[in-house]
Amino acid sequence: MEDKDKFDRHGYWRSLNELADQPEFKENLGREFPETVLEGLAGLSRRSFLGLMGASLALAGLAGCRKPVEKIIPYVTPPEEIIPGVANYYATTMPMGTEAYGVIVECHEGRPTKIEGNPRHPATRGAANAWILASILGLYDPDRSPKILHKGLEKNWNDFVAYWRELDKKYSATGGEGLAILTEPFSSPSLFNALQMFRRRFPKTLVKSWNPVNYNTSISGLENIAQHNLKAIYNFDKAKVILSLDADFLAAEPDSLAAAADFVKGRKVDSPLDSMNRLYVVESNYSLTGAMADHRLRLSPDHLSGFIRALAGELIRRGININLEPASQAPSAFAFDETWIKVLAEDLSTHKGEGLIRVGGTHSPELGLAVYHLNRALGNIGKTVTYYEARDTFDDNLAPEDFLAKGTGDAITTLILLGVNPVYASTGTNDLSSALAKIENTIHFGEYFNETAEHCTWHIPAAHYLESWGDVRAADGIAGVIQPMIAPLYDGRSAVELWNLLATANDETGYEIVRRTWAGILPESEFENRWRQILHDGLLDNSASKPMEINFAGVDKIIINDSPATTSGKLNLVVVPDTSVFDGRFANSSWLQELPDPITKLAWDNAALVSIATAKNLNLQNGDMVRIDDSDTAVPIWIQPGISENTVVMNLGYGRTRAGRIGTGVGFNAYKLRHKKEISLEKTGGRHHFANTQEHGAMEGRAIFREADLEKYRRDPKFAEKMVEHPPLKSIFKEHSYDQGYQWGMTIDLNSCIGCGACTIACQSENNIPVVGKEQVINGREMHWIRNDRYFVGESDDPRVVIMPMACQHCENAPCESVCPVSATTHDKEGLNVMTYNRCIGTRYCSNNCPYKVRRFNFFNYTKDMPETIKMAQNPDVTVRFRGVMEKCTFCVQRINRGKQAAKKENRTVRDGEIQTACQQACPTKAITFGNILDPDSNVARIKKSDRNYALLAELNVKPRNTYLAKIRTPHPNLENMIDSEKKDKG
Amino acid sequence: MAQIFPRWTNHLPTIAAAVSLFVIMAAVGFFWYYGSPKYTDVGYRPIQPVPFSHKLHAGDLGMDCRYCHSKVEKSIHANVPPTQTCMNCHKLILPESEKLLPVRESYATGRPIEWTRVHMLPDYAYFDHSAHLRAGVGCVSCHGRIDRMDVVQQAEPLSMSWCLDCHRQPQKHLRPVNQITNMDWQPLAEQISFAEKQIKELNINPPVDCSGCHR
Repeated sequence: MEDKDKFDRHGYWRSLNELADQPEFKENLGREFPETVLEGLAGLSRRSFLGLMGASLALAGLAGCRKPVEKIIPYVTPPEEIIPGVANYYATTMPMGTEAYGVIVECHEGRPTKIEGNPRHPATRGAANAWILASILGLYDPDRSPKILHKGLEKNWNDFVAYWRELDKKYSATGGEGLAILTEPFSSPSLFNALQMFRRRFPKTLVKSWNPVNYNTSISGLENIAQHNLKAIYNFDKAKVILSLDADFLAAEPDSLAAAADFVKGRKVDSPLDSMNRLYVVESNYSLTGAMADHRLRLSPDHLSGFIRALAGELIRRGININLEPASQAPSAFAFDETWIKVLAEDLSTHKGEGLIRVGGTHSPELGLAVYHLNRALGNIGKTVTYYEARDTFDDNLAPEDFLAKGTGDAITTLILLGVNPVYASTGTNDLSSALAKIENTIHFGEYFNETAEHCTWHIPAAHYLESWGDVRAADGIAGVIQPMIAPLYDGRSAVELWNLLATANDETGYEIVRRTWAGILPESEFENRWRQILHDGLLDNSASKPMEINFAGVDKIIINDSPATTSGKLNLVVVPDTSVFDGRFANSSWLQELPDPITKLAWDNAALVSIATAKNLNLQNGDMVRIDDSDTAVPIWIQPGISENTVVMNLGYGRTRAGRIGTGVGFNAYKLRHKKEISLEKTGGRHHFANTQEHGAMEGRAIFREADLEKYRRDPKFAEKMVEHPPLKSIFKEHSYDQGYQWGMTIDLNSCIGCGACTIACQSENNIPVVGKEQVINGREMHWIRNDRYFVGESDDPRVVIMPMACQHCENAPCESVCPVSATTHDKEGLNVMTYNRCIGTRYCSNNCPYKVRRFNFFNYTKDMPETIKMAQNPDVTVRFRGVMEKCTFCVQRINRGKQAAKKENRTVRDGEIQTACQQACPTKAITFGNILDPDSNVARIKKSDRNYALLAELNVKPRNTYLAKIRTPHPNLENMIDSEKKDKG
Repeated sequence: MAQIFPRWTNHLPTIAAAVSLFVIMAAVGFFWYYGSPKYTDVGYRPIQPVPFSHKLHAGDLGMDCRYCHSKVEKSIHANVPPTQTCMNCHKLILPESEKLLPVRESYATGRPIEWTRVHMLPDYAYFDHSAHLRAGVGCVSCHGRIDRMDVVQQAEPLSMSWCLDCHRQPQKHLRPVNQITNMDWQPLAEQISFAEKQIKELNINPPVDCSGCHR
């Protein structure tokens, strides 16, 4: 709270008025000037006001006459590989729990500015998600902890080393009794080595890991049987029928980038002859995976085990031998459609070895085992689902409440918390802060001085992954390195350095430690060469694990119990990680906070999501504050079509009390309610204002989003183009021919797009797009150049969801250009609709005349108060825009120019695919294609010839350069045909 | 009734109109001339922390521009040389010179020398040195006779219309690529036909669209 007041008074972060939750500040948030200035002016008479304004104008005029002096600061001794003005690219890996993403980092003069996926890395394949892309902002976050603290006093690293050496002496005598470590899980050779060493020296120490969102829960039953840490790899590209049981594998679950790429590979439709996989989704929340489903069944969580047993029963009836006790009752007892489950069972049993069933990682080990048996009985194991031993992985999950309860028996005297935030993310009403206070020494290691750090005796700032040495195992066990792009900005230490100190009491650099680990992995004779190769590639080729057979001998038939039915009058509570801030670790990232949730379209917030019927029953409206059971905090209601009945869904990661300037006080903490399975709601009478970017996602009768099912597409491949009929189009202006040189164009395949929002963040990072804050989002002033429009289709209780990326369409007959009074927006020879910021006078006529509503206006000088460190994240190749200037997608003109220059220097033309826009490069499913449409061999020209290609609002004769490929779904013929049923509704 | 205003006041409106026309035109002319980069920017000659003489180095000693501005063919910037480049020679040449004290100090302490930028384009204009050199635009075309300047000053207005003059008609300003740093090079007799050939060979296509420089 104090921080908030402080920053608000200074107007320090004014443009990011993320603190909008405080009503007393709300009023000022829309103001252009800090409150203090306005207050001062309010007391002036009209005469003195005019005098003051005149004087300041005169001064401003004079100041403008002086030539600004710019300095050039060259190197003293130039680093070998840096050319000022030319970006360098290095490979590294972003660790996230036991997952890791291989990335390529663009560095300008040693300053990382942009992150891309590493094409060699199996977990990213050159793509990225919003978390990876936004981690560049995390590096420069001025709220990261800058110093080591001991009981509030500033210390240095050597003090801590000396302190630890004393403790080390004390505990090594007793074998580590009284010492306890709770760490975030990891998958890293160096950390695992350190852990082994630590355990040898301190055998009695309690060491556990904790991940508040633990996606390894459902696999743990299998791990117990296999006696190994396991990792499941799902080969979606080999599956014809996919069933997701509350598993959001396209966005939230581990390895979602690879899953999305493979899943979409099985859905690529180039001609009417192609076949597609079919996705069935059973879920309570509305996830992105649910939005991609051919058939989606909304099911409250208490019915899930019943569903699995009913499915097992149906499969057994079809003669499939499953080591699983089926449901005794008919499916109707579980309130879901019998035909649905019959069709599903038929589809799965006719596609043996080509089916794939995945259950959400956070579900119980019993459900995980049951689903394993379903996959096994259907012959999918080893084909679409494989298991690997998770090497160098420490994932021994124990919730902090249980950890402390377990520890009190051994009387913990020193507790080390590595990268975890239990005070914030612990469940229920347990006040962990008082438990921490009872422990003599508590050491917190993390990037931020957060809720937990406040209650610890020591705080050690952690280095960002872009500042540290380290190593990881990712995806299928492939080993990779983390190498620093920049020296620590805030004096942080890497996890390997700290673990090494704990394990050996030696203070060594991360580089030494990681090299030593890899000296054990690589053959000695070729170490130096191979090491250099690994630093270049970011990973060690051929280091993946071998698939593992699981021996079930001696394991009884699996019995899963039906979860108890919800008490009548109560609601099921489902908590899910957030698509933006995940478990809360990204809460202080303004980019992610402002990225609207792909389904709810809420930005800067979370809410208690309920279905329409549930809301009606309880007489609730959007923004109504409700108290959940007897908890202290009230949460606001957001009515979300498509959520299962009698269910409340809440996203984790919000309601931080000490996250930093951005994240503190945004949203509501769902962790505190997480232990409850069923709840009741009580209206408090309060209201909450949401920043929702798409409250009215209506089609307004226009065929903007075009889709068909596979049958219809086969009957009529050109359906998309035919959906709008218009007379022959004639322009009132003389049209340009655009038949020379490069003509840039883009296609977006709606069949591939999963709506994840990576494009939005990639664009934000590449094009220096400002963040505007919650209040401005409410005013509709968000600046994203590419947004994802979400539309609902069908009945309001259980609609389908389609998502459409929308950026400037680069119309050849651009309506925006003809209304600009100063020719600030014009067309160039290559078909780009370009925006010249320094000419723009801000009439906003162009925005008014844009049929796609993709132009963005700088209502304020959003970058004025940008902290120095955040400025370092800006792309030097793109102008930072000032107040009063219009902006919009440029097709990444800086990348086009760079590509053209590179080609010219080699005296050749630009190769197809050489220039990628930022959104295209980040897209996990390669839905976006960009290139020269004049070149008939280019990918984009080839795709534009597709049957499914259509231009949005072509009837306006604006001739957009960006075209869409219609979406195709493949519903089962025996289940209700969605597209046709829609027509019935309309008729 | 007596006339309140004398007769000559009948001309007042005409005079007022003529005077205000003159004042307006004078004002326009004033800003046209004194506000243009030709007046405000040409001749800008800030004092540098080290009295480095281009006349001595590039002119009298005949050093190639690219000895110091070594990355100019690779980067958008013509890099200002690092202190080490100075010290390559000045470790041995004039090692005691008073004028070189800031250079030696910088080299010893690792603190860079802060030069003042002379050729200052606005931040929204993205000029690429390497692209121009590749096409055969000489240093002298934009920077003037650097080899005759003791203290570097801006020789050309570097305004947008000045840029566009050349972009629209590059023929007059192109030279063989191996002559780009030659300050004394004179246009050939058959300049236009030579330039046309070079434009074709090197695929020179100077952009005149906004997106060529602004992004």
